[in-house]
Amino acid sequence: MPDPSHVGRRYVAPGQLISPERVAAYASAVSGDDPTFPPGSVPPAFAAVYCVQPTLAEMFADPELGIELAGLIHAEQSFEWPVPVRPGDVVDAAAEVTSVEARRGLTFVTVGLEATNQAGETVCRGRTLLLTRSAAR
Amino acid sequence: MTAGRTPQVGDEMPALTRTVSQEQIVAYAEASGDRNPIHLDPEFARGVGLPGTIAHGFLEMAILAEAVARWAGGYERVAELGCRFSKPLLPGEAITCTGRVVAVDPVSGALTLQLEATSSRGERVLTNGRAVVRPDD
Repeated sequence: MPDPSHVGRRYVAPGQLISPERVAAYASAVSGDDPTFPPGSVPPAFAAVYCVQPTLAEMFADPELGIELAGLIHAEQSFEWPVPVRPGDVVDAAAEVTSVEARRGLTFVTVGLEATNQAGETVCRGRTLLLTRSAAR
Repeated sequence: MTAGRTPQVGDEMPALTRTVSQEQIVAYAEASGDRNPIHLDPEFARGVGLPGTIAHGFLEMAILAEAVARWAGGYERVAELGCRFSKPLLPGEAITCTGRVVAVDPVSGALTLQLEATSSRGERVLTNGRAVVRPDD
């Protein structure tokens, strides 16, 4: 179960390739037969794939943090994209536990996210709020 | 955005409605790599207290991002996006994303939108939505 002593834990997922094929598959899964823009630009929410998914996978696998996936709720998400990510970019993503608070039988875990491209530019910053049930006492 | 006219506070973003089928949820799981069984396995989902499988919050957020990007004229226009995942979206339901301009930066021309999304069941599935749209280059 996460507790405030876990604040500052960091999980990295270097070398995320923004492959045109994965971008196209993602855009198609979101838009179906209602395509929004021609291939070549990256849907902003693709940050879920290059930034959130690989870093949180590391976080969920951390036995010391001890997040249980059953009953875990993704409560809030925000992103900023200072520089657009482009097909062919290689992105290093990182997540850091920025706060853990227990309230009303729930544990609120806030995670800060950042992704930088091969030129060292920040392509994405984000914040994820997760809720998990506190251990029964 | 309306051509030839500077967007103003109160302008409404055209609503975007998409019906999200279980097939689309499966396609999104494959494209995003998020194969959490709450999205794929009805029995597992019911076991953790859900009415059945639910759409990925990130799939809903991706549709919200598309609504903003369509109105703004491109994915790269979306500088910031955030929301709260308030209620689950169930397979077979439609999600409708709406928004309006709540601020125009007098210097940069950047627009802030307030957003939300409702399901065809009448639930407010995404709340506290907010986006920042970059001005034309």
